[in-house]
Amino acid sequence: MSTSVAPAAPATAVAPRPAAPLRPLDPLVAVALVALVGVMGWALLATPVERLQGAAQKIFYVHVPAAIVAQYLAAPLAAIGGALYLWLKDERLDRLAESAAEIALVFLSLVLVTGPLWGKPIWGTWWSWDARLTTTLFLWFLVLGYLVLRGAIEDRAQRGRYSAVLGILAALVVPFNHMTVTLFRGLHPQPIVLKPERPGLSSEMGLAFGLAMAAFVLLFVALLRLRMRYAAMRDEVEAAEGLA
Amino acid sequence: MTPDNASYMHVAYALVLLGIVGYVASLAVRARALAKRADALRPGASRRA
Repeated sequence: MSTSVAPAAPATAVAPRPAAPLRPLDPLVAVALVALVGVMGWALLATPVERLQGAAQKIFYVHVPAAIVAQYLAAPLAAIGGALYLWLKDERLDRLAESAAEIALVFLSLVLVTGPLWGKPIWGTWWSWDARLTTTLFLWFLVLGYLVLRGAIEDRAQRGRYSAVLGILAALVVPFNHMTVTLFRGLHPQPIVLKPERPGLSSEMGLAFGLAMAAFVLLFVALLRLRMRYAAMRDEVEAAEGLA
Repeated sequence: MTPDNASYMHVAYALVLLGIVGYVASLAVRARALAKRADALRPGASRRA
């Protein structure tokens, strides 16, 4: 009679592919970082100093693109990914939502850091409970809550469902935040770039802003791709650990 | 008269770069931890340990 113990075949059979390490500095991320540095250099050296605001106005070239990407790309993508996950139950959509939300938090953090650095020399204060600033901070807390919620739930399906609902609710703040500068009087200026009557920027400023937007969108795509690959690897490892 | 406030701009640009590079670095750290977990699941991992 054989007394040999059967090897733990299922665990090893589903072990994640070892030869696919995640390289954070992949070519697209590297190109995006170079583009970001290039745009910053361009803004510093090739754009005119605004007469009334001085050099602090150049914070515009990082503050506004970061805000646009966070609020009009990343947060809606997190909501759309979550909504599609609720419908189709495809885990790739949950990973898309999770990744977009994390990058939204990074870009919103940049907005909330660069905003006060622009506000202090121009408004004379680091912060004001202006409607635009307050709703942006509220959105930041919602996205942070989304990620904390994900970290608190172990069951993958439940985590996907709950966070999808929160992601959709968080994205509902975006249109309200967009309208705050016209609905309420406050310190934050009204739209400058997307003004219907006439452009509020000189041609040099407009060109630098366009390049900055392109760099930030590229950076968003590169980071999203990387973060989704990380999430896929993590899910694969967790699935294998569950069977080990 | 144009105000001299370039230091705010320099700090903002530096923090943006630091934030992005820091995020990429955080992904690198998490990916490395994940790779270790994946290695531990491979056949023969316990013998090497």
